[in-house]
Amino acid sequence: MQLKYGLISVDDHVQEPPDLWTSRLSKAKWGDRIPHVEQASDGSERWVLDGQVVLDGHVADVGAIMPDRNHEPRRWDEVPAAAYRPAERLKAMEADGVDYSVLYPTVAGHAGETFGRLTDPELELACVQAYNDWLIDEWGAASDRFVPQCIVPLWPAEAAVAEIRRAVGRGHRGVIYPGMPMHLRDVPHINGSEYNPIWSVCEELGVPLCLHAGASTRLQYASREGLSPALADALSAATRPVSSVYMITHFSFSKTLIEHPKLRVVMGESALSWGMLYMEWADHQFEHDGLPREGYEMKPSEMFKRQCFFTSWFDNVAPYADFYGYDRILWSTNYPLATSTWPRTRETVTRCLEGVPPAERDRVLWGNAAALYGL
Amino acid sequence: MEIKFGLISADSHVALDRDAFTKRMSAAKWGERIPQVIEVEVDGRKVERWSVYAKGSGSDANFGVSGVCNCPAVMGDPFPTYPERWEDVPRRATDPIERLKALDEDRVDAEVLFPNNPAPNFLGPKDKDFELDAVVAYNDAVAEWRRASDRYVPLALVPYLSDISVIVGEIERSYELGHRGVNLLGQLPKGLPLLTDPHWYPVWEVCQALGVPVHFHGSAGLQPSASIPRWDGYSIRALHSSSTTPSSVTPGQVIPNLVFSGVLERFPQLKCVFAEAGIGGLNYVIAVCDHEWETRHLWTEGLSTRPSELVRRQIFVNFWFESGGIQLRHNIGIDNIMWESDFPHVASYYPHSWEHVERVLEGVSEDDRRKLLYENAINVYGIDAKVPAAV
Repeated sequence: MQLKYGLISVDDHVQEPPDLWTSRLSKAKWGDRIPHVEQASDGSERWVLDGQVVLDGHVADVGAIMPDRNHEPRRWDEVPAAAYRPAERLKAMEADGVDYSVLYPTVAGHAGETFGRLTDPELELACVQAYNDWLIDEWGAASDRFVPQCIVPLWPAEAAVAEIRRAVGRGHRGVIYPGMPMHLRDVPHINGSEYNPIWSVCEELGVPLCLHAGASTRLQYASREGLSPALADALSAATRPVSSVYMITHFSFSKTLIEHPKLRVVMGESALSWGMLYMEWADHQFEHDGLPREGYEMKPSEMFKRQCFFTSWFDNVAPYADFYGYDRILWSTNYPLATSTWPRTRETVTRCLEGVPPAERDRVLWGNAAALYGL
Repeated sequence: MEIKFGLISADSHVALDRDAFTKRMSAAKWGERIPQVIEVEVDGRKVERWSVYAKGSGSDANFGVSGVCNCPAVMGDPFPTYPERWEDVPRRATDPIERLKALDEDRVDAEVLFPNNPAPNFLGPKDKDFELDAVVAYNDAVAEWRRASDRYVPLALVPYLSDISVIVGEIERSYELGHRGVNLLGQLPKGLPLLTDPHWYPVWEVCQALGVPVHFHGSAGLQPSASIPRWDGYSIRALHSSSTTPSSVTPGQVIPNLVFSGVLERFPQLKCVFAEAGIGGLNYVIAVCDHEWETRHLWTEGLSTRPSELVRRQIFVNFWFESGGIQLRHNIGIDNIMWESDFPHVASYYPHSWEHVERVLEGVSEDDRRKLLYENAINVYGIDAKVPAAV
C-alpha cells in the first residue's frame, strides 16, 4: 500500500452508467424489466427498474460535483464523468487528497437496498451479479486504489452467502447489506437466526459487513411539502442516521454481535456525534432493565467497541474519540453526494481533527481502514 | 416559590386522581366514554385499568404493563412494580399535597408536569368533540395542582382535531390557569398536517407571545419503531431496552425539521424542550445542520441564520444519566440543559436523585451546576423563584 496523502475514504459512491445492466442482462429474457434510463414526459431522464422509478426519479446523485450543488442533473449528458469513469475519479481523488476510496453504489441503493424490493429472485440475482461484476471489471481492474464492496440478494440467506463467496472470490473486500430488510419485502426480522449464515460467512472470509445509513427512508420523519429541493435534501441528509440507530440497537440487544464475535460492522455515513448518546443510553437501559442477568456477556458499548465502526465526514473527532476510542472511527468524503466535503476535504479534515495527536490522526484517516480492509 | 434544595425537575409526570375526568366531563353527553378507572380481566386476573372512550372500543390506552397508574418509583420493592388496583396506588402519586412530601424527601424544589395515565393525548377515538372536552378536563385538573402549590409547573395538552383558533384559545385559557408550556406530538396521526406545516403556525405564534415553551417528550410519537415488526426473540426486558434506546434519536429527527422548514427562524422567540431524549443528541443536530447549511449554502434558500445559533437560541434538552453528555455541555450549550427526574416513572432515581446528580456532575463547576440544576429551568419557565445567596 502506497500513501501519498494519508487518507482512505471509506464511504464514496460510484454512479452506475446507463448501460451497466442493459449490456449485461439478457434483453430477450428480461425485456424492459432490466434497470435502464428512460425519458419522462417533462424531458428529464430517470432510472426505471421492473416498471418502478428508482433513485427518487433522478438520473444520478452527484450534487457535490455539479456546477450548483443543490441541483442534481436532469439528463445523463449532464452527469460529470468523475461520477462513473474510474480514470476521471482518480483525478478527483488527486485533487481532494484521497489515496484509497471504498465504494458503495447509487442506483443499486446507497445502502444496497434497491434490488431487495424485487419479488422475482432470479431478476434480483441477475441485477446484483451484474453490478458486482461491473465493479470489479471496470473499477477494480482500473486501479487498486478502489476498494470494491459487493451487494447481495436480500433473501434467502443461502443466496446471499453464495453471492458473497463468489464476489469476494472475484476481489470484493466488503459486504453491503441493507440493515432493514423487512422494510423492503416480506422477509424475517433482521434479528432472526435465519440471517446467521450471512454474518458467519463475513466472519469466515474476514470481510466487513457494511450497514449504510438510509437503509429505510420509512424510518425518517418526512419533510413537509413545499420545501425547496435544497432544503428537503438537507433535511433528508440530516435525518438519515436514524436507520443506523435502529440497526445498531437491534444488533446489540438481539445478541447478534455477541454470537458473531469476529463480525466487523461498519456503520456507513453514520457520523460520530450521536454515537456517544446511543452508547450511554443503551448501557443505562441495559443495566436498568436487568439485562446482565439475561445471559449477555457484554454491555452494548462493549459490543460496539469490540466490533463496530462509525464513519464521519464532518464532525469533530476528539470529543467522541475520548468516549469510545480512536480505533472505532473511520473517515470518508462521501463523494460525489451533495453532502460530500469535496473539494474541501483537506480543510474539513484539519478542522475536524483539531487537537488529535498525530498517531491517532493517522489511525482515523487511514490506519483503521487499512487494517479493516486488509490494504 | 423558594429554592431550598437547588434542584428542579424539568420532566416529571402528574398522576391524576381517578375522578379527574368523571367530575369534569358531562355524563349526559359522554357516559361511560369518560376516561375512568374500571375493572377488567388481564390474563384471567381481575384488575383495574384506565379506560378511555369506553372499554373495548379499541381506544383504551393503558391495558398493558404500566398497571392502573404508571408510578413504579413510589411502589417500593420489588422494582419495578406497577399497581394493579387503584387502592394500591400511593397517595403521594395522585395527591398534590402528599406528593410535596415526596419532593421534599428527594430534595427537589419544583417539577414540570407531563401527562401520565390515562393518556398523553386523546386522539385515539378520532372524535373531535370528545378530544376537546377531555383535553379541557385534563388541563383543568392539572391546573388544580398548580393552585395547590407553586412548586408544580403544569404543561397543557392541545385538542389537535379542533380548528386552529380553538387550539390557540385553549392554550391561552390554560396559560391563564397557570400552565407554563404545551406538550406536543412530533408526529401527528395521518390526516393531520405535519408538525412543520403552516397550519400550526398560530400555535408557535401564541406560545412565542405567551413566552411558554412547547415540549416533545421521549419518542414524541414518532412512528419508526411502530414500522419495525416486533421480534419474538426478545425477553420483555430486552424488548423494553431495544424500544426505549432509540428515543435518543428524537431530537435528531424533529430539530432538523424545525430548522430546515424555517419554523425556528420564523418564530425567533419560540422555545422547544426535548424531554427524556437525552442531551447528547444535540451534538449531532448542531454538527449536521451546520454542515448541510454550509455545504449547500442554505442562506441562499431563505435560511439566513446558522442552525447552531438557532438551536442555542431556542432548543432545550434534559439530562438524568449522561455523564459523557455532561462533559460536552459547552458544545451542546450550557444554557440549554436542564435536569429531569422522570418521577414517578421507571427511569426515576427517586428517592436518591442527588446521588446520581453528583455522579453525573462530577468535576462540573459551581456556576455550571447551578445552571444545569435549576437556573436554566427558572429562565425557561419564567419561574418566580426566590434564590438564596448560597444554596
